[in-house]
Amino acid sequence: MKQYFSKINQVITKAVWGIWFLDPPKDVSLDGYRIDNTIQYTDTVITFYFSVVVLALVYFVFKYRSRPGHNAQYDRGDSKKNLIATVAMGLLVFFSIDVVIEAMSFKDLKEAFWKFPKGSDVVRIEVMPQQYAWNVRYPGPDGEFATEDDIVPPLNLMHIPVNKPVVIQIAPWDVIHSFYLPNFRVKVDATPGMINAMWFQATETGEFEIACAELCGNSHYRMKGYLTVESESDYNAWLTSLADEDDEWDEWDEWDEDPLEEVTIPEDWGWPWKEIR
Amino acid sequence: MSTNSESFLTKYIFSTDHKVIGKQFIWLGIFFLFFGGYLSLLMRWQLAYPEQAVPWWLSWGIFFKDAGGIIDPDTYNQLFTMHGTIMIFWAVTPILIGGFGNYVIPLQIGAPDMAFPRLNMISFWTWILSSVVLLASYLLPQGPAAGGWTSYPPLSSPMGGIPGEGQTLWTLALVLMGTGSIMGAINYIITVVRMRAPGMTYFRMPLTVWGLWLTSIMNAVFVPVIAAGLILLLLDRVLGTEFFVAGGLASGPGGDPLLYQHVFWIFGHPEVYILILPVWGIVSDLLAVFSRKPAFGYKVTAICMSTICVLSSIVWGHHMYTTGMSPLLGKAFMFLTLLISIPSSIFFLNWLATLWKGNLHFEPPMIYTMGVVWVFAIGGLTGLYNATVTSDIYLHDTMFVVGHFHFTLAATLVLGLFAAIHYWFPKMFGREINRTMANIHFWVTFVSMNFVFFNMMVLGYAGHHRRLYNPMEFDFLKPLLGLNEWITWFAIINGVIQLLFIFNFVWSMFKGKVAERNPWGASTLEWTLDAPLPHGNFAQTPTVYSRPHEYSHPSLTDTDWVPQSEPIPGTA
Repeated sequence: MKQYFSKINQVITKAVWGIWFLDPPKDVSLDGYRIDNTIQYTDTVITFYFSVVVLALVYFVFKYRSRPGHNAQYDRGDSKKNLIATVAMGLLVFFSIDVVIEAMSFKDLKEAFWKFPKGSDVVRIEVMPQQYAWNVRYPGPDGEFATEDDIVPPLNLMHIPVNKPVVIQIAPWDVIHSFYLPNFRVKVDATPGMINAMWFQATETGEFEIACAELCGNSHYRMKGYLTVESESDYNAWLTSLADEDDEWDEWDEWDEDPLEEVTIPEDWGWPWKEIR
Repeated sequence: MSTNSESFLTKYIFSTDHKVIGKQFIWLGIFFLFFGGYLSLLMRWQLAYPEQAVPWWLSWGIFFKDAGGIIDPDTYNQLFTMHGTIMIFWAVTPILIGGFGNYVIPLQIGAPDMAFPRLNMISFWTWILSSVVLLASYLLPQGPAAGGWTSYPPLSSPMGGIPGEGQTLWTLALVLMGTGSIMGAINYIITVVRMRAPGMTYFRMPLTVWGLWLTSIMNAVFVPVIAAGLILLLLDRVLGTEFFVAGGLASGPGGDPLLYQHVFWIFGHPEVYILILPVWGIVSDLLAVFSRKPAFGYKVTAICMSTICVLSSIVWGHHMYTTGMSPLLGKAFMFLTLLISIPSSIFFLNWLATLWKGNLHFEPPMIYTMGVVWVFAIGGLTGLYNATVTSDIYLHDTMFVVGHFHFTLAATLVLGLFAAIHYWFPKMFGREINRTMANIHFWVTFVSMNFVFFNMMVLGYAGHHRRLYNPMEFDFLKPLLGLNEWITWFAIINGVIQLLFIFNFVWSMFKGKVAERNPWGASTLEWTLDAPLPHGNFAQTPTVYSRPHEYSHPSLTDTDWVPQSEPIPGTA
């Protein structure tokens, strides 16, 4: 039954949004389906209520249009019966849409988006956006951030292993940015002066785009990173190769520097991992 | 208040007559409506044909000459910043609140003028000053503000990377505009509280006055909040303080950029209701007038609007779900936001019930009003996606949000102000507005507007994030180019048809059929006066005997209405 209902939801979503044959980017995350489900449920109910409104409008326009011999029926609509009817309808709307999506949302937040994974197999990454690039940082062999052996890949590159939870802590260098992964249905703002966190888990390998969702200046539109999801062994090999390159890092830094950019980002920008309660 | 001793200057320019000031606000607003609309078309061009030269008929051969007709990224950011700012604060606010607030409030409550006529004039001229400051930023070599209409610091702070001083003028202009807004708000509140005609109790005021009054209260409470935030931002920009700068740009420990967002949205969310309440009021009244029925559940509608005002002041956090807000706060803001749907559905239902068993006259104001019912239904319902924390995590800062707030703010407000202009035009200018042109204008505007804003939501659902100079930089946005082109062409149609409106407006002002005193058979007090209305309005203060829309009362025989200033026969 539940499956059947979710099928109906999907068909309606297709009908409402899909008339232009557009789909959201492919969901490759463990929990993205939750957001899609909430959106699809909302599509269904608001399509229903909007159809009711439209049908009522069309009916009224034909039935009650002004014509000879037709008069309005005086009704102030302030009897107790009217009041109860309108309030009941208001509550019906509230309970059929709002309460349901609120419950879905609370459940998803509790079970997924705000339930940060713990344990040793969690991949931890620090991200520091700047105008207009993504700096990424891995803890290195000692498992601690802001230490000598941190691994800092070239700008805008992030690799993660598939099927493992990834926690990101993010704080920008300059202005507000927003770390947006369309294929994972998540985004989190990076606000100067505070460290934000978010987590996600990939279910498929491939290369996906990282976009900046918060206006951050004139090149906001090309502030783009690449997220590579790969098997655990590939991921480890990549990290190792970066660690080996570490001695050459300083040159990398010089090479990638935008000559117009006056601000130099210090190479040791990381921060000690903030434990989330 | 003699009318004889007035020179041209005091009668038409520095007038203290609320009706003249109202018209001045409407002209100011219409000018900026076209200006802001034009900016949006340039923006749409860039989205549909990224980095291609703007055609001559859109650039008029004078703009973007340096770059060979191509809009550059800085200019694009200026376009959407100024589009948003101008449309909200210099187009819709002056027309709905400054214009109709001024014109309609004293007439509908039976007052000779505003409580403080001179303050009223100063409010308008403060607005003019703010407009001059805002437009002056176009004269700067590096152009106007480019931080988005929200202008979040540190981007909008001097170190944020926006070249030039446009952002400073923007902040200053908004502070000035806010000052004018507060002056107006105080005036409207006091006028409604103190100057109602005998018998005009609160629950006999037309819902338009209710809407404008609640709006003014909200303005008086919340504009000072944003003014405080903007003044701090101004200090950051001019004196080098660091209230809103932190991280790598701060010279010391820094301030708190997030504080600005809270301050902005504590004002910013009520602002949405500040703008839409007058339209709700106007729609509630007009539906009654053209259905020849009392507004269904009049008292309940007024109470619902008041409830929404209170709720709207404690929901600002739903603009900030992705800022790393504490889960507890996120849940609280979500719950409070969703609560708003109860009073909203109740008064929306009252609108539909007003049509029920009515006698519907599809005059131009009525079709615009029905248009509002349609677009507000879409705008209201699509707000649910953004109110929900989880779906907002995906949809926040995408074109979905843009489409949603254009349904509520652009479509609802613009159709609402067209309804108001067409409705009060005969009273303002003593002539009828041409119906054929109005009908054509409505249908073209309505269809193109729905297409544009609905498809913006589709773009957002497909992941298209906001404020992108060239979306083609992202692979996942490449399939959306075709839809972006469609939207642009519909937006251009929408823009072109507005020329018909302005032609109709000006033409009807001079050549329209001379209007009767009360062409719509409306019972509110302004329709008891003959045009041109004298300074001071009512020769004799009217006494009010009934609610504002007692149409088709059973004891009426010859007509289906009586003015509020006459008792309904057989009920006195």
